[in-house]
Amino acid sequence: MSDTQAPLLEMYRKMLTIRRFEERCNLLFMQGRIPSTLHLYIGQEAVAVGVCAHLRRDDYVLSTHRPHGHAIAKGVSLNSIMAELHAKATGCCKGKGGSMHVGDMSVGMLPAIAIVGANIPIAAGLALANKRLGTDRVAVAFFGDGASNEGAFHEGVNMAAIWDLPVVFVCENNLYGASTHYSKVSKLENVADRACAYGIPGVVVDGMDVVAVYEVAGEAIQRARQGGGPTLIEAKTYRLCGHSRSDPRNYRSKEEEAFWQARDPIPNLAGRLKAAGLVTDEQLEAIEQEVLAEVDASVAFAEASPSPEPTDALTDVFYTPQEA
Amino acid sequence: MATEVLVPPLGATVDTMTLVKWYKEVGETVTQGAALFALETDKATLDVEAPASGVLRQIMAQPGDAVKALTPIAVIAAPDEVLAPSTPAAKPAAVAEPGVAAPPGPSPSPSQAARPAGGRVFISPRARRLAEQYAVPLEALSPSGPESAIVERDVRAYLAAQPTPAITPVARRMAEEAGLDWRQLTGSGPAGRIVQEDVSRAIEAMQPAPPVLSPVNEAIQTIPLRGVRGVIAERMARSNATTARVTLTAEADATALVALRQQLTQDGVTVSYNDLFLYILGRALREHPQLNASLEGDTIQVWRRIHIGLAVDTDRGLLVPVVRDADSKGLLQLARETQTLVERARSGQCSPAELSGGTFTLTNLGMLGVDAFTPVINLPECAILGVGRIKVKPVMVGERVVGRHMVWLSLSFDHRLVDGGPAARFLQRVTQLTERPHLLLA
Amino acid sequence: MAIKTIVEALREAIAEEMRRDPRVICIGEDIGVEGGWGGAFTVTLGLAEEFGHERVLDTPIAELGLAGVAVGAAIGGLRPIADVQYGDFLFLCMDMLANQAAKMRYMSGGTLTVPLVMRAPVGSTRRGAQHAQSLEAFFTHIPGLKVLAPSTAYDAKGLLKSAVRDDNPVIIFEHKVLYGSKGPRAVEGAISAAGEVPDEEYLVPIGKGVIRRPGRDVTIVGKLLTVYRAMAAAERLAQEGIEAEVIDPRTLVPLDKELILESVRKTGRLVVVEEDNLTGGWAGDIAAMVAEEAFFYLDAPIKRVSAPDVPAPFAPVMEQFYVPSEERVIEAVKWVMGQK
Repeated sequence: MSDTQAPLLEMYRKMLTIRRFEERCNLLFMQGRIPSTLHLYIGQEAVAVGVCAHLRRDDYVLSTHRPHGHAIAKGVSLNSIMAELHAKATGCCKGKGGSMHVGDMSVGMLPAIAIVGANIPIAAGLALANKRLGTDRVAVAFFGDGASNEGAFHEGVNMAAIWDLPVVFVCENNLYGASTHYSKVSKLENVADRACAYGIPGVVVDGMDVVAVYEVAGEAIQRARQGGGPTLIEAKTYRLCGHSRSDPRNYRSKEEEAFWQARDPIPNLAGRLKAAGLVTDEQLEAIEQEVLAEVDASVAFAEASPSPEPTDALTDVFYTPQEA
Repeated sequence: MATEVLVPPLGATVDTMTLVKWYKEVGETVTQGAALFALETDKATLDVEAPASGVLRQIMAQPGDAVKALTPIAVIAAPDEVLAPSTPAAKPAAVAEPGVAAPPGPSPSPSQAARPAGGRVFISPRARRLAEQYAVPLEALSPSGPESAIVERDVRAYLAAQPTPAITPVARRMAEEAGLDWRQLTGSGPAGRIVQEDVSRAIEAMQPAPPVLSPVNEAIQTIPLRGVRGVIAERMARSNATTARVTLTAEADATALVALRQQLTQDGVTVSYNDLFLYILGRALREHPQLNASLEGDTIQVWRRIHIGLAVDTDRGLLVPVVRDADSKGLLQLARETQTLVERARSGQCSPAELSGGTFTLTNLGMLGVDAFTPVINLPECAILGVGRIKVKPVMVGERVVGRHMVWLSLSFDHRLVDGGPAARFLQRVTQLTERPHLLLA
Repeated sequence: MAIKTIVEALREAIAEEMRRDPRVICIGEDIGVEGGWGGAFTVTLGLAEEFGHERVLDTPIAELGLAGVAVGAAIGGLRPIADVQYGDFLFLCMDMLANQAAKMRYMSGGTLTVPLVMRAPVGSTRRGAQHAQSLEAFFTHIPGLKVLAPSTAYDAKGLLKSAVRDDNPVIIFEHKVLYGSKGPRAVEGAISAAGEVPDEEYLVPIGKGVIRRPGRDVTIVGKLLTVYRAMAAAERLAQEGIEAEVIDPRTLVPLDKELILESVRKTGRLVVVEEDNLTGGWAGDIAAMVAEEAFFYLDAPIKRVSAPDVPAPFAPVMEQFYVPSEERVIEAVKWVMGQK
């Protein structure tokens, strides 16, 4: 695929939005202005953006405890995510979910699921519903290398396979399940090697290259949409930050971090776009300023929003018809 | 050699009396002949002396408990003397295996469950409610419920089995004095009880008013109007003659206060109702300083400090020792102080300083069966609060009739110093704190 | 109107709902296999023939997976009826039920619903401890989940239909001994819980209990099998002049509290009977609620009749000791009455 066919500039903007948003969250957290815990997506932006570029508004994305990137890529507004992190009533979950559960059903992003691996069978279930209801919607489950060892992974992928469900499983292998290196928890080199156990295609892709991700994801999503069943995509990527806010990352070497820092998808794509003559420095700067302004606006929105009432804790447990 | 202290049969017409307070605590040394506890009978409250010297090792009743004549209420012994166990301890259920509960076998049959003698009454909530409603004495009930508890049917059985019409002690005394056979009367009180009004009516109907000419009479006692008697006479007359006395009455729901006192007692804090009212008055007077005032010449002095006199009934007459700075003292401190003051007053040991300087007075006739009254203002003070007896009465709560502990508060005040409005508001606050003692913490 | 067993009533309920709404599907193990059993207790027998294997989905042995798929399918717009073959296997699905189904609506701020039904057979039937447990108490404790426990054919059909139509996650417990299954899947020692089931459409509302037998001396609350224990005990007690009021709550969450409280206010005595271990069980929750809200109406302590705190034993003599018997209910009633 040539560089002009993929929506590169759009993807660049999206990745930069995620990056600046996550950096701002980090800052706000350090300043004590977010009561939330945070699992930042810094460094992995190419995966969320490359996959979600193919998704329609009514396709489903199921994410994990590290969901901000997927949410923004799928189209959840910055305002509603920032307000949720600030525990405000205008948050995407009305303040009831927090960082690990951001989502917005109106753009097809389920409230993220913080139990590692649990989103996999649920994604299969959504795909089952799509198929049964005769739509060509697809479901995409994002998860990490650690999730690939959960029973839920095995059961969910297997069931999706035997029923040819329209679901794509995207494993973001950032080499560490929390602090444990992947080589210690599997005898295999690649998570994707397990796909053969279920009789489905498994693909390894460079998760730091958004174009590569875009290509591979396009194929898998197309296959699913056309009834060809699930694909297991493994994107090799890296967290350019800690697992969570309280992680000093002493389990990773400085050399390793430097290696991956050099492969940061955002400056790399910028370089590629400039080299192809698709963008100027001024335009990049303009995009930078626009993105920062959006992030600023989301913070202002969050800060100005009202807190929920304490008794709001009692609502939204059950659905009763009067609420409709 | 341990001495078992029995409840003396001091009731004139009753077998069961109420323990009012202990003068000694468990562990304290007692001297034979010194007052050990106070007992309220149908006629009066009396001090009971210790029958032996030694250490008070055990008590089997708490203030407020009903106790039966000639039953054990305490044990006095040497400090290191080993006492025989008073009750059989309940045995734990057999354990089949460590860590696993025994398989649920047949539950212990009700009559076998051991119960300590004297002390706690085991009664179901439902039965207790019923008993309170009809003022049924709990010790008169035979338990037939699980674990030898008194249950509803036991209370109903008691009520149904009352053979002769019940009569209140006051009515009975009145009838006997008038030479009237009260068994002929119909009662208008709860559960058909004969009350004072029934006897009064019967007496009135009985005979015409006797002729004014009374036969020559003979004095059985001659008391000079001197000493304490003289002082009292002079002050009472002067007070009523000079003050513009108005008495306001209010009936307060003291259920919470009664419960609070019970709770305190259960936690080893023994206080009397006087102590509680002193505490309440301390707070209320701080908020309503106009009632903490005196008339000196033609000037009204509203005082900063709150010194409350406590009316004490002694052999020599009415004495009013003063509790200084009552508003700054905790409940326990008040209790200790009043106990000391009352003892000293009764034994004639109060100094003139202790009997003066008051800014308000509290008088309690509840234990003598008085409901509401019109206390005389203790000059030069502005007001005096009379507390009546706490009695369980049927009261409307919402749409239901429930038994609540009600008490009459009678506030006499000098209308020269203070108007009805402020006085009423003060009484309102006292009433509120009586009804809702938790507000004392606010 | 015809006499039906609980199995027949459940099967009818599922079939009727599947005919009525194309979004209703069944997900479970061995539920639609041709020539198969129709699930562990024949409830789904014949359904695959009528509705096809796309709607009566046989899954691999993967309870976590099938529960997760059911959750996803429900969020995605279907109305799945999932089941496990034995209630004990629910422990394998706990994450999907407790962490996902029950919490998703709340965490989303009320923007999605999970119209899922999970069916599970419970009760001891001489199969050993891992095929015998009563699990209601684990689930009544999860906010966001409705819990049903029908003990008659009429209630089973009416409640299952209501559960399918409810937009919230519902777990419905069925007692193996009450099923009345026929053929090789019949349960030894089964009680006939068969009863009249109307032919015309009807629903039993979720959240309403029923007084099975009125009385004035004591309130007995039971669920599933123990409703029958209570009724049998009540018959014998009546011969001794004790009139027991037997309450079957039918729905455990949301509980028809007022029905129980009104009864206790009248009788003053409460015995709660359950086939479940005593500690941390459902009976304790009922007892605490009544002690809190009707304390002054009680004429005796509340008594719980539960299984001892042991895993369910196999040997018939031990099983009979484990499961609360009619005799134990009678004993408990007499104890609260203060009689021997």
